Amino acid sequence: MTNIIETKDLRFEYASEEEGPRVVLDGIDLDIRKGEFVAVLGHNGSGKSTLAKHFNAMLLPSGGKCYVAGMDTADEEKRFDVRQTVGMVLQNPDNQLVATIVEEDVAFGPENMGVPPEEIRKRVDEALKAVGMYEYRRHAPHKLSGGQKQRIAIAGIIAMRPACIVLDEPTAMLDPRGREEVISTIHRLCDEMGITIVLITHYMDETVDADRVVVIDDGRVLLSAAPREVFSQVDRLKAVELDVPQATRLIYRLQKAGVKGLPAGVLTDDECIEVLSNLLEVNGCPSSKPRN
Amino acid sequence: MPILETKELTYIYGQNSPFEKKALDTVSIAIDEGEFVGVIGHTGSGKSTLVQHLNGLIKPTSGSILLDGRDIWAEPKKIRAVRFEVGLCFQYPEYQLFAETVYKDIAFGPQNMGLDEEEVNKRVKSAAAFVSLKPELLEKSPFDLSGGEKRRAAIAGVLAMEPKVLILDEPTAGLDPKGRDVILGQIREYQKERGSTVLLVSHSMEDVARVCSKVLVMNDAKCAMYGTVDEVFTRASELAGMGLNIPQVTRIFLGLKERGYNVNTCVYTARQGRDEILRLLSQAKGGDGR
Amino acid sequence: MIRDITFGQFFPAKSVVHALDPRTKLILVVAYIVLVFIGNNFLCLGLAAAFLILATALSKVPPKLMLRSTRPILFVIAFTAILNLLYIKGDVLLFEWGFVQIYDKGVFTAVFMAIRIILAVLGSSLLTYTTSPTDLTDGLERLMSPLKVLHLPVHEFALMMTIALRFIPTLIEETDKIMSAQKARGADLETGGLVKRVKALVPILIPLFVSSFRRAFDLATAMECRCYHGGEGRTRMKKLQMHGRDAWAFGITALVLGGIIAASILLPPVF
Repeated sequence: MTNIIETKDLRFEYASEEEGPRVVLDGIDLDIRKGEFVAVLGHNGSGKSTLAKHFNAMLLPSGGKCYVAGMDTADEEKRFDVRQTVGMVLQNPDNQLVATIVEEDVAFGPENMGVPPEEIRKRVDEALKAVGMYEYRRHAPHKLSGGQKQRIAIAGIIAMRPACIVLDEPTAMLDPRGREEVISTIHRLCDEMGITIVLITHYMDETVDADRVVVIDDGRVLLSAAPREVFSQVDRLKAVELDVPQATRLIYRLQKAGVKGLPAGVLTDDECIEVLSNLLEVNGCPSSKPRN
Repeated sequence: MPILETKELTYIYGQNSPFEKKALDTVSIAIDEGEFVGVIGHTGSGKSTLVQHLNGLIKPTSGSILLDGRDIWAEPKKIRAVRFEVGLCFQYPEYQLFAETVYKDIAFGPQNMGLDEEEVNKRVKSAAAFVSLKPELLEKSPFDLSGGEKRRAAIAGVLAMEPKVLILDEPTAGLDPKGRDVILGQIREYQKERGSTVLLVSHSMEDVARVCSKVLVMNDAKCAMYGTVDEVFTRASELAGMGLNIPQVTRIFLGLKERGYNVNTCVYTARQGRDEILRLLSQAKGGDGR
Repeated sequence: MIRDITFGQFFPAKSVVHALDPRTKLILVVAYIVLVFIGNNFLCLGLAAAFLILATALSKVPPKLMLRSTRPILFVIAFTAILNLLYIKGDVLLFEWGFVQIYDKGVFTAVFMAIRIILAVLGSSLLTYTTSPTDLTDGLERLMSPLKVLHLPVHEFALMMTIALRFIPTLIEETDKIMSAQKARGADLETGGLVKRVKALVPILIPLFVSSFRRAFDLATAMECRCYHGGEGRTRMKKLQMHGRDAWAFGITALVLGGIIAASILLPPVF
């Protein structure tokens, strides 16, 4: 059993008043492996958030199946087991904290699960340390920054000891600093604690370090591959109104302008600098400094 | 004469309380008519406090704000008139929609100005056209619009006042790339067509580089830099020190420069980057080396 | 600025009174108030006042702050005092002017009642000064938990209180923002008659309602994601625990209570 989440021909539709039934998810087959960091990209209305809500039984499929750790999410008896296995962090940092004190908020999940008090205390402290917010345990949530609130929300999920955390656009309302805090926190959770991460986002730069990028468009999986491979398909991404990193776009534009010998899927600053210095060197624009 | 000017603007909030904090510290800037200014700075740098001073929503602790050379607080009773000339569109403006129809919501500002029905109608229609809201949407409830449409309707509500100076506080926050490009494009169109002065508060250096002519950098309640995009973005390391990121392409070209390549580092978009590399390559082919 | 408002009137400090279990404080305050109203002569009130002064001194809450808490009810005190002055008849007529007749007993009663109310208010203020709203909610929930047998929604009520406390600052901030935004569109909230002012509130109240519903919906989703399913089978991280100091507090209060009962039986009442 290496897949934490499996969907089989997952379909979801709802009846809208004006237009009749509307298909949001149209046959999604997706496997998410234990310990994997998967980024799900898609523009607004692509169905990515609807998909995410199937992963912890907040929504149930209209057709097909969704399995979490082997459990069918449609099985009512397993609902709380599913939600404990796959925790979920939402977009608005203000609207998901329940308590007036940080540590009591983090305790909310385990309290609902009926964990004994001593054990909750232990878990809350560990969870707050894992997101680097332990010093703030006695603070009031409304005085924290957006990034800090989002980390508290993540801690609240970690305290439930999930195997997987799904984050539904957790950075959409944050400033760059808050975004950076959240993204580096979830990478650390994945690397150090082996928690599977599913990051739903429309910021492509947050997906560059993921193990896999899944592009959703119009309720279907358009691409599912390593970031480098996904971002090398600039045309396809553009067609579904998504962005690629500037470095990728720069190399792509050069290729389009007829420059030969450039690799596809360049993502980071350093890669791009390397590729461009090679290009300049080969074409007779040497550096004034000796290369080491 | 600059259209908007601040002189030694200082704002202390919670004065004489334990929470006392300087939110603006002797900020003196002058913005010329028709300029498109990007205002950047991390959260808490004072940029939001600054823009709320420019239309008289906050009264300065000391210093003054001049609109067309006149102190806006000269007659405090007339401060509402200032708000019609300096239009401010807040962050997440869609959360302020309230009327039964989109039309009535956009008309709220012009009606407060005391314009007659015909003029209001004209302005609502033209503002809606600027943000490409289809005419049939005007009779819908604003709460039935999609997320992107709501945002655009709310921006139209400020445009309809036809302010001399338009200030937008992160108009693209939370939107996907498509939504962001659409709104930025519309603001740029508006600025070009009207020739009005626009201030764009943004976290995205790429957006600022793409549409603005000048950049104002706020840091620690002070105006840290004010100059053209080229002037400001070449000071990359200083910006990084303030917790601000310059566009990735600019970082790449600064990296190339550091490695000793003779590149122009005033490059902010992928397109400009391509052109710069192509220029170098064609120079090399031309035979003169560099 | 508006966002720095703290709720209730909690005065954070490290003191014995702050450290008491909130349940202890709740029970003691109720006992104290009952005792202030049982006491029917000045000695009783003196005992109660001494008890209050001792507690205040231990709590490190500045006396000035304590006195300030009586300000909102000064009117009530004055009103009861005047009623007592005018309507209580006694043996010695002190003052007469037209139909106004003031007797000695009236004066006594007026002063006595005023002191009673002030003492009661000061006692409950001490509770809110030394107990955070969160602890207060917690204490109430646990004291009331036996009522669950009667199917009273004690847990739900406490959760409601907590959520309200959590979101009040957020909503105040939001109101502030919506007001600024509408003012930026020329909304005039400061001038005009009553009708105009009430009408001017519409552009603020509607967005506020819409956003409160949106937040409520989000919060419900978040709570469900965190396995919330009512109070059944729920545990709590924080265990309220009575300590030695709570026993002391009960002991001292019991003594004062005994004293007051004795005094009110043995000594003649004021009225």
